[in-house]
Amino acid sequence: MNKRPRIGLYTLVALSVVISFLPIVWLILTSLKNTAGIYAWPPQYWPDPFTFDNYVKIVTESPELLLYVLNSFIVALGCTLLTLTIGGLAGYALSRIKMRWGAVLMVFILAVSMFPPVSLLPSLFQNFLKLGLLNTYSGLIIAHAGLFLPFTVWMLASYFRTLPPEIEEAARMDGMGLMRIFLTIVIPLSWPGFVATGLIVFIFSWNEFPLALVLMTQNAMRTAPVGISLYPGEYAFPWETISTATVIAIIPILVITAIFQKQIVGGLTAGAGK
Amino acid sequence: MMSSLSPLDRRRQQTGLAFVTPTLLVISLILVYPILQSIVLSFGSSSIDGSEPYRFVGLKHYMTLAGDDRFWNSLWVTLTFTALSIPLELILGVGLAVLMNEHFRGKGLARLAVLFPWALPTALNTLMWRWMYNADYGLFNAVALQSGIVERPINWLGDETLAMMSMVIVSVWKTSSFMALIILAGLQSIPRELYEAGRMDGMSKWQEFREITLPLLRGPILVALIVRSMDALRTFELPFNLTDGGPVTATESLSLYAYKVIFDFIEFNYGASIVVVQFLVIFVMSLAYIFTLRNKD
Repeated sequence: MNKRPRIGLYTLVALSVVISFLPIVWLILTSLKNTAGIYAWPPQYWPDPFTFDNYVKIVTESPELLLYVLNSFIVALGCTLLTLTIGGLAGYALSRIKMRWGAVLMVFILAVSMFPPVSLLPSLFQNFLKLGLLNTYSGLIIAHAGLFLPFTVWMLASYFRTLPPEIEEAARMDGMGLMRIFLTIVIPLSWPGFVATGLIVFIFSWNEFPLALVLMTQNAMRTAPVGISLYPGEYAFPWETISTATVIAIIPILVITAIFQKQIVGGLTAGAGK
Repeated sequence: MMSSLSPLDRRRQQTGLAFVTPTLLVISLILVYPILQSIVLSFGSSSIDGSEPYRFVGLKHYMTLAGDDRFWNSLWVTLTFTALSIPLELILGVGLAVLMNEHFRGKGLARLAVLFPWALPTALNTLMWRWMYNADYGLFNAVALQSGIVERPINWLGDETLAMMSMVIVSVWKTSSFMALIILAGLQSIPRELYEAGRMDGMSKWQEFREITLPLLRGPILVALIVRSMDALRTFELPFNLTDGGPVTATESLSLYAYKVIFDFIEFNYGASIVVVQFLVIFVMSLAYIFTLRNKD
């Protein structure tokens, strides 16, 4: 290979990295300033004094912001487990059993996945109100599962198709039932697919906004994106608190993305390419 | 047809059906039934808590909709936002993908940096940008004022045109990475031999890109474009958190207007007619998506 202008390449890479991180870095810096520093002129680019006061204050004065993060955890984890369980079964049946309506079902599932969430709101709100599911974890978990099951089924079905069918056929010859084959053979073989799908569904659920906004009306039940966005009113924003709460709420996602980068990228591109 | 199945096959079919049932049940309850109910609601009059019985009013809400300037404005805002952000995302996405396909040191970090904006909640991303756009204490005005580029602070979110541009920038920042990832996967599946053959023919880098890379990327680009267009057409938390649709209604998307009609103005059935129209727009697009994918195979 001949020598190419590497400086140009590195400049472009550095530029994209800086632009990607800029809002996050600026937010973290803001959360480490005191109130005077945040609203100072000339502006402070580096916190002076550097302080963790805002973090201490959140714990002592506005613990509801931490509660939002906990709510997000419960909902996202519940949604991930539910979608992987029932979506795994469906994906397995649709990829391995020749069913009369199998192909139609796959297209149907893809089509409904494109429904705009806001168009579900009038009806979902009314039904959840009637059923007493507003402001419950199980309610939002089921709602999120509905949103993200199509993605899960497609991802897992395409993963199951990559497994060699011989092992399952041998197990069938031995008289194993489908459920046992799924539990003892398919799941152990396809855990990378489950991990990638689960991570993406967890992120989707953590980030979901419209349904979380409408189906959790009580302050104590709000998820992190909604709770922080509505805190405390729409106009006067206490940026020292907001920036700190936002940093806390995105840390789990930052960590997950950093550790499982490969799986997430692999899953996303496979999901979108199918 | 069924009669030709052996008992064993029939049991497999039954088990398969049992495996699919829970998923279909949840999807029906959360996605299919609500859409059908929204359609019914949009032709009637009722109350949100069900205390007032449903009364059929025919096309009344759709007639109102046809004469509702704010509805047409929100449709226009949504289409403008989509038309402005998607081409920019595509150009940047292709650029980023080509960049990420090169070999260089620190590639892992660069990839992670590109992935972050996509992985974080849009609502919180938007808050970060709103803070940078802040007219009095934001980063952008601080830099612009201190360096002497401007003499007075720029009202990024308070001017109709600037607010739309600011919103587009946040969207482009967040989702170019998604485009890049899909296009990158396409890039990596292009056989190396093609480039070697190109080099033998004395092609320049640019010719290689135009004559080998781009034609082979048509599939992934199409997928990325359609997925993103549908996303942009239903954008909600971005204007909700950045501008609340303002100034006035300059950035009020269809989703945001529908939400306000239902939950702020408590015009339950009228809101249903707005979401039905939005659903139809997106549904037609999604059908186009499925058919293009089918033709690709």
